[in-house]
Amino acid sequence: MGLLPEGSQQVEDAVRAVLRDVLGISQDRVDAFAAETPLFGALPELDSMAVAGVLTELEDRLGIIIEDDEVDGEMLETFGALTRFAMAKALG
Amino acid sequence: MRFGPAEAPVVMIALPPFEEANRLRALAVTVARRLGEQGLGAAIPDLPGTGESMIDIAATRPADWQQAFAAASASIGENRLIASLRAGALFDGDDGAIGHWRLTPQDGAKLLRELIRTRIAGLREDGREASTATLTEAAMRDGIELSGHWLTPALFGDLEQAVPPPVHPLRTVRLGGDIQPADHLIEAAPLWRRAEPSNDLHLAQILADDIADWVKTCRAG
Repeated sequence: MGLLPEGSQQVEDAVRAVLRDVLGISQDRVDAFAAETPLFGALPELDSMAVAGVLTELEDRLGIIIEDDEVDGEMLETFGALTRFAMAKALG
Repeated sequence: MRFGPAEAPVVMIALPPFEEANRLRALAVTVARRLGEQGLGAAIPDLPGTGESMIDIAATRPADWQQAFAAASASIGENRLIASLRAGALFDGDDGAIGHWRLTPQDGAKLLRELIRTRIAGLREDGREASTATLTEAAMRDGIELSGHWLTPALFGDLEQAVPPPVHPLRTVRLGGDIQPADHLIEAAPLWRRAEPSNDLHLAQILADDIADWVKTCRAG
């Protein structure tokens, strides 16, 4: 990634915290997530019901609205993709 | 379900409707026990149509919950404080209470949005497309099943408009990371987001302590 807008670290921290809290994963485990860490389809905890919880919790914590048509396989594919999506919504 | 010493002020705990009630019941019971240890009474009323029965909830509307909760409250006596969790705030209005306390209050539109979002995710998993618009249209026309509960058009429509009633004095508590207005933030994970019902003894203690302090403040004020 190039130069990141201010607030990027907070957004990334929020995404980690949401995954930790909604999926019941330990802090150590979410801290180990890197940009290419696969999420939907790879994490057993992240089923379709959990996806709804993750999206809603992200909305509440970042003050964003996520529309139905913005939710696709790509933005949930990896931790990096989800974080980039969240950053674009929160800071863009 | 009622806990605590017979003569003490009673905290009426309002659980949210639908699935979150199951997810938060153990926490609510633990909070009630901790309140008992601090010399306070606690009660967790059962609301119509929030059990397992699909038939019950088809005939239920938020006004019914409000009435049922108010009736349960009135039967407790004057010395009561209302503590609601999440969308339990939608029917926690009670003019006779000494005060109100809310954990992460949620309005009806947001509640429906979450239920619909879960439904859309499930449909997509089955390879079927759906949108908030199409599901809302269907709900208002025919009713809709969301997370195992049948919502009539009337119930759906009521919930879309429902907001927590204005109450005073009110203390609003939220969890860290939540950016909406609050009187106090607690660092804890949102139990209502977990698929499986669970408990958090530490959080229950913190909540009970906070409620007990608020009871003291309301009684003094």
